[in-house]
Amino acid sequence: MTARDSTESYTTPPAKSVHRLAVLAVCMVWPLIWVGGLVTTYDAGMAVPDWPGTYGYNLFLYPLDTWLLGPFDLFIEHGHRLLGAFVGFVAILILFFAHRHEPRRWVRILSIALLGMVITQGLLGGMRVVLSDRTLAMVHGCVGPAFFSLCVATAVVTSQTWRRARGDLNDPQHGKWNIALAASVLILSYTQGMLGARVRHILPDALPGEFTTTVAQHISVAVLLWFLSVAAFRRFRGCGDLTLARPVLVLLISITVQIALGVGTWVANYGWPGILGSSIIQAIPGASQYLIQAKGFWDSIVVTAHVAVGSLILAVSTMLILRLLRTRYLAFAAESADSDFERQSESSVSVGQAFS
Amino acid sequence: MYLLIHRPKKSSKSVCRRSNIALIFVSVVTLVGCDSRIEKFDPNEVFSLTLAKSESVDMGQAQEDVTKVIETLFGTPESPTWPQDLISEETLVQTERLRRAAGGVSSEQDGTHLGLFQEHCVVCHGVSGNGRGPASQFQNPYPRDFRPGIFKWKLTDRAEKPSREDLRRVLENGIAGTGMPSFSLLAQDDVEALIDYVIYLSVRGELERRLLRISVSSLGYGEEALSDGERLQFPGDEQSKQVIVSNLERIVGQWVAAKDPDEEQRLISFNILEDDAGISRGRELFHGKIANCVGCHGVDGSGGVATLDYDDWTKEYTTRLGISPNDKDALQTFREVGAHRPRPIYPRKLKNGVLRGGDDPVRLFQLIRQGIAGTPMPGVTLVNEENGKGLTEAQIWDLVSYLHSLQDK
Ligand code: HEC
Ligand code: HEC
Repeated sequence: MTARDSTESYTTPPAKSVHRLAVLAVCMVWPLIWVGGLVTTYDAGMAVPDWPGTYGYNLFLYPLDTWLLGPFDLFIEHGHRLLGAFVGFVAILILFFAHRHEPRRWVRILSIALLGMVITQGLLGGMRVVLSDRTLAMVHGCVGPAFFSLCVATAVVTSQTWRRARGDLNDPQHGKWNIALAASVLILSYTQGMLGARVRHILPDALPGEFTTTVAQHISVAVLLWFLSVAAFRRFRGCGDLTLARPVLVLLISITVQIALGVGTWVANYGWPGILGSSIIQAIPGASQYLIQAKGFWDSIVVTAHVAVGSLILAVSTMLILRLLRTRYLAFAAESADSDFERQSESSVSVGQAFS
Repeated sequence: MYLLIHRPKKSSKSVCRRSNIALIFVSVVTLVGCDSRIEKFDPNEVFSLTLAKSESVDMGQAQEDVTKVIETLFGTPESPTWPQDLISEETLVQTERLRRAAGGVSSEQDGTHLGLFQEHCVVCHGVSGNGRGPASQFQNPYPRDFRPGIFKWKLTDRAEKPSREDLRRVLENGIAGTGMPSFSLLAQDDVEALIDYVIYLSVRGELERRLLRISVSSLGYGEEALSDGERLQFPGDEQSKQVIVSNLERIVGQWVAAKDPDEEQRLISFNILEDDAGISRGRELFHGKIANCVGCHGVDGSGGVATLDYDDWTKEYTTRLGISPNDKDALQTFREVGAHRPRPIYPRKLKNGVLRGGDDPVRLFQLIRQGIAGTPMPGVTLVNEENGKGLTEAQIWDLVSYLHSLQDK
């Protein structure tokens, strides 16, 4: 009982252009997130006090030499804005091509959401600057990864792999538990990003207890995620489907690396935590003499890598859950087709249909 | 104290990707503007409570009046002021630098950073320099509370303030093995502005403490509510003014008097000979009766001596009030107004251990001579001739040689 070729659900051949643009968006948004992280690391968020212009210039007309040769803060803040604006253009193109060539209505809706979100994110960033507001900076930092995840989703659902996917009801991969596992990984990795943003954008007058609690949550979720990624790896590694086996491997590796980077980020900012007690500190080589270097280059690389790998994990878990849902959908679709049930009508966007 | 400040209690832990957007908008609307400015410095409630306990008085009115006076003189975190017209000395703190260090983080087109204290220090030292910033609980030792005006790593005498150069060294070198970073990569101007700000916070905090103490000890606060004419005010009657100005002058005078040893003095002291004879004399002194370093730092400085002691910042609200640092219930009221959980201070392992204040010989000489302010590490009595009661200068130099020799192996 294998599913029919899923191309059946596409009335016209899907648009390669949308997929290519979505991949381009993913490739641009990932660095956009690092640079955004770097802006925070260097406290450069207010390096350009006006918005949407840059020191009175139009964003795109700001003189190249003052930008490239100016202070580092201005370099990254203005660069972040430029890159963000280009992502906006790509989102417009995606919307355009999706409406011309994309047969699936829900994908067209997705492309509208994508553009809406990039505009929102730009406005949030701008308001953060205009109002010089740290909470907004944090919200801006939380929407970023969500947008990234949406870009990944667009790229995944417009890909060839998506079209070629097959579902088999006898295949245990897309069973409820596996879906729940992948969904938890996605939800937790997004939560983790928010917690990280909270640690990072802690208000100057926050109580120590509030910070400590957030840090404790961030650490607990990290541990939980690691165990979940091990579980996912064990379930999918030998499943025979590379579109699932590869992501879980990447997930496990990147979560492990991420935990190491997290420790590094902490140490770079706050040193080895004295609350571990002197015997533990003495046992870690170099820890008892460790000197924090404020604004050190390598330290900022570690911190930025932590941000980058965090969003990579989010991307991979988005991909994993979508692919699982896709095979599940196909399996059930195949079965219902076999048992002569009516297919759902093309015009309504139901949950099931969203995976056509 | 935190009641004065609006802090968003809302946690943004929502998880679902799409519905998040809606949630975020709601939170944006409710949160904007709550945090971007910090309107006030938090009053020193822990110290008020300490006085309330030790003098068995009610501190409500005193706290209120002192807070008002301090705000009139020193302004707010966003716009700090320096009461220059009450102070004869003119160079200690410059308002221009204060303004650069204060307020929210931003920067200008030429790369000048503003809001330096918030950018670099506040997570640990807190807005008012009370050593209770958000990340302070993770540190051991806790970040310094600048308000009592006591500093550890300096070349000046134990009871003196640190000199400007001392603070600059702390900022440039950091304090290895603690949470205190090195800020050597910052622009020189930034460091100078930060030094001014630390002095500002310290003078501000110390005056606040002094006025609180005086208000109960000699201004009659605490028993019954004072009438308007009797209350401490600025600018108020002659008596108020006199109390405020004389105390301010005293604190500022101490800061101005703190000077780095000049070059010549340093050169004279550099006749240190780190030969084997000196080192073995130093070793003997280290383990001897007079200095008795071994009693805290262990044989050959290898640590491991069981001691239980606390630093002065902690003792103030514990042992000095007869409260055991382990007595959670008794400490509860202090913890509620923000006091840190007491953590013991341990003498350090010196053999291959880190020297937090650096290994400069002149500095080590001062360390042995003066001990470390705010900690149980005692100084020694300086004597002209060996008499079994103190150490001579030469003997202290021998100890310095010995300390150096512990580092090399
Ligand atoms: C990551 C936490 C952290 C940050 C950030 C930090 N400090 Fe500290 N600071 C500490 C700790 C911990 C101590 C106490 C070290 C000790 O007791 O030996 C300290 C001590 C100090 C001292 C007292 C030194 C002495 O001689 O007693 C000064 C002054 C100081 N810090 C200034 C600053 C300034 C100015 C900044 C910002 C530019 C800053 N600190 C940023 C953690 C921090
Ligand atoms: C009552 C116990 C006590 C005695 C006696 C004592 N120390 Fe200390 N010592 C301490 C403590 C506590 C510290 C840690 C202070 C801190 O880091 O805040 C310390 C720190 C030190 C340091 C480290 C300073 C740095 O820069 O990191 C040195 C060096 C030192 N002591 C040398 C000596 C010498 C030499 C003697 C004898 C003359 C001596 N101590 C006697 C308690 C003691």
